[in-house]
Amino acid sequence: MNLFNSSFIMTLTILTFPIITPLTNLYKKSHYPGYIKTIISISFFLSLIPTLTMFYSGQEATMYNWSWLNIQTFHLNINIKLDYFSILFMSVALFVTWSIMEFSLWYMHSDPNMDKFFKYLLLFLITMMILVTANNLFQLFIGWESVGIMSFLLIGWWHGRSDANTAAMQAVLYNRIGDIGFILSMTWFLLYSNSWDLQQIFITQEGTDIIPMLGLLLAATGKSAQFGLHPWLPSAMEGPTPVSALLHSSTMVVAGIFLLIRFYPLMQNNQSLQTLCLCLGALTTLFTAICALTQNDIKKIVAFSTSSQLGLMMVTIGINQPHLAFLHICTHAFFKAMLFLCSGSIIHNLNDEQDIRKMGGLHKTLPITSSSLMIGSMALTGIPFLTGFYSKDLIIESATTSYTNAWALVITLIATSLTAVYSTRIIFFALLNNPRFNFSPSMNENDPTMINPIKRLAISSILAGFFISYNIPITNIPQMTMPPYMKFAAILSTVLGFMIALELNVMTKNLKSNYSTKLTNFSNMLGYFPPLIHRTSPFINLSTGQNLASLMIDLIWLEKSLPKTISQTQAMASMYTSTQTGLLKLYFLSFLISMTLALTLLF
Amino acid sequence: MAGAWALARGFRWLQSTARQAVPLGARTASHITKDMLPGAYPRTPEERAAAAKKYNMRVEDYEPYPDEGMGYGDYPKLPDRSQHERDPWYEWDHPDLRLNWGEPIHWHLDMYIRNRVDTSPTPVSWHIMRNHLFSFVAFMLFMFWVGEMYPSYQPVGPKQYPYNNLYLERGGDPSKEPQPVVHYEI
Amino acid sequence: MSALTRLAPFARVGGRLFRGRSGGGGGVRYAGGSARAWPRYRECSQPTRSEVIQAEVLSSAMWFWILWRFWHDSDAVLGHFPYPDPSQWTDEELGILPDDED
Repeated sequence: MNLFNSSFIMTLTILTFPIITPLTNLYKKSHYPGYIKTIISISFFLSLIPTLTMFYSGQEATMYNWSWLNIQTFHLNINIKLDYFSILFMSVALFVTWSIMEFSLWYMHSDPNMDKFFKYLLLFLITMMILVTANNLFQLFIGWESVGIMSFLLIGWWHGRSDANTAAMQAVLYNRIGDIGFILSMTWFLLYSNSWDLQQIFITQEGTDIIPMLGLLLAATGKSAQFGLHPWLPSAMEGPTPVSALLHSSTMVVAGIFLLIRFYPLMQNNQSLQTLCLCLGALTTLFTAICALTQNDIKKIVAFSTSSQLGLMMVTIGINQPHLAFLHICTHAFFKAMLFLCSGSIIHNLNDEQDIRKMGGLHKTLPITSSSLMIGSMALTGIPFLTGFYSKDLIIESATTSYTNAWALVITLIATSLTAVYSTRIIFFALLNNPRFNFSPSMNENDPTMINPIKRLAISSILAGFFISYNIPITNIPQMTMPPYMKFAAILSTVLGFMIALELNVMTKNLKSNYSTKLTNFSNMLGYFPPLIHRTSPFINLSTGQNLASLMIDLIWLEKSLPKTISQTQAMASMYTSTQTGLLKLYFLSFLISMTLALTLLF
Repeated sequence: MAGAWALARGFRWLQSTARQAVPLGARTASHITKDMLPGAYPRTPEERAAAAKKYNMRVEDYEPYPDEGMGYGDYPKLPDRSQHERDPWYEWDHPDLRLNWGEPIHWHLDMYIRNRVDTSPTPVSWHIMRNHLFSFVAFMLFMFWVGEMYPSYQPVGPKQYPYNNLYLERGGDPSKEPQPVVHYEI
Repeated sequence: MSALTRLAPFARVGGRLFRGRSGGGGGVRYAGGSARAWPRYRECSQPTRSEVIQAEVLSSAMWFWILWRFWHDSDAVLGHFPYPDPSQWTDEELGILPDDED
């Protein structure tokens, strides 16, 4: 009992040491980034204590620490929830962050502000911890906003580039749209439950009210880049690769899904909201998978596959399986972080070349990266017994066996096979065939700070799914009986995707395409979503704003409202008085009409 | 006499403090001074030439906004092109804005800077993009509606529980004998 | 032990395979005292043997894991329980009396 809580507190406390260190003398003596990495690894091993305790004895806890604010009957405490979701996610996030930090030691070694970069990553990790362990909406909101801020700072890390600034701005703006929903739900819960504590909300609410639930869904849509608010995620690839690996694949973007998982006691009572989640998720997973098909930037492909997987998690929420969605969050973190690290290794070794058309033959020169990339891709597509299989297969099985929207199911399956298609494309273009780049003499995989995290994540991509899914309480995972064709649906669509993609890639390798078809354009221009929306809505907003603020004000207040209105009224009045011709008899005759009408109605 | 003197002093004092606080005639509602505002709408060719010269433009290129009372005055109506469209490799005097010194600035420059509205030409024309995206989304929504009409499901029977379908566990009255539940029929 | 000695030729062949990949005939070269990829002029730098071995070990670990789990837990792929097929149920199992018996 004491070990459980105290080791958890220790895990969190130890993370705050590096924030204080720069104020002390230790900072001058130590290698600060390496120090942060070590701290995080220690924190990870400490976090294993609560995780294993929870696995073996199912222990969960809630800590009420400090009364923050009392407004009459409304109490706000610092309130930490250590349940299955937060504890397991903490361990996963710490493990992934540890690896990514170590990788950044190599990737960012020439950056002048490396210390700052590591501090940002650390702050991000701490805010993520606040988010997942929060037991009241206010704490959750603090974490929610802080990860958004850290995301902004890290996407705009290379702020000398206009693209990076634009991408950071996009991330912030799209997330603010989501926050409207979050704040709406917070307000609603405050009004109708008089509390932001999760338990009290779950007791007092039944989840049948659509408004707060829609607010939560909007928040999740913004944070987890679901269709409509998705374009910021591929743009966020302007940030350094470790940032993409940590924030935009494994931890921050799943916060939206995590929010919905947190609220599953309410979600499961609301059938219409579940349908909405299902359709939104299915649309996202298909749309972003289509977008991933024709991208040539290796990071963009991986980013779109992240978005597609987030859609799949949303589908899982939609079929009322929050525990499965959480399982997918955990497994997805391992292999997606590793895919990004592998692409980071490739990009750095090819002198910042991200275009997969200019790669090729890397399995000769970068063998470990290639092996790991293969493992990651296979885990992503859900090849049996790799990490992705344990969640993805279960998700698709539950989707096929439950009472769902048929079309959502169909497009989820299509998106599953598209996952295999774009993964094959990365492997085929980056790793196989002949090299299509100029060799640089510096290509190597010598540095242990680069290879060790990749290897660690590769091994966990093989094994983690097994360990996590076998330690989940059995009641959380549905045991399903189904006809063989359903059992094979997931794996068949994946294998089919692999085969078709390989066949197409081999066939069209030496073909030249003179024109692009409509489908290619649709896919390559991201479904035309960014060009349409990113041009129209700022144009409307900004031009309206400019006109209202600087032109219309004078026009309306100083011209239209007083002088012109007065002159118009005067003119009208004078017109009426001057058109008066004095035919009084005629006017009085008109009374007869009403008189006759009244009389006829009376009698 | 003394009263008149005091009154005059007081009045002067009021005047000077008022001038200190608000310089007379210098403050407009929008903080824009008169020389920052555009001039009057040019009506004669001479006025046009003068306005064009004022904005560092040639007379042929100069075209003011139509005089509709919006207050554009003689400000030139430049083509609605975003700065993103301009050549990134040219040595601009302001590389971040892609502007040269003294170049006439678009009225809506704030809107057309590089990370706001982009007007650069797209490979696919606007109406095709719009039609394709909206028909894609509309098709998806329609199919979701169809899928909602014809859902996919597996045949399952209702769940069967022991102890007379969990009579006591579901809050049945223990004093009464529950109706025996039979799940089969021969 | 004898099984291991019998496997030795295979190991040797495997070693030759790795060696064939890792160096252009002259074996592995070292720089600065440790095993490192040797930068070459206008040529692709070769990974060291240990890197190749690590890569192969990772890949083979993956395949080993897949096949091992498949051997022991093939139900996860092939379905845990047979799905009941009502058309196969006999009247006897269902307790339905023959039609002609009234």
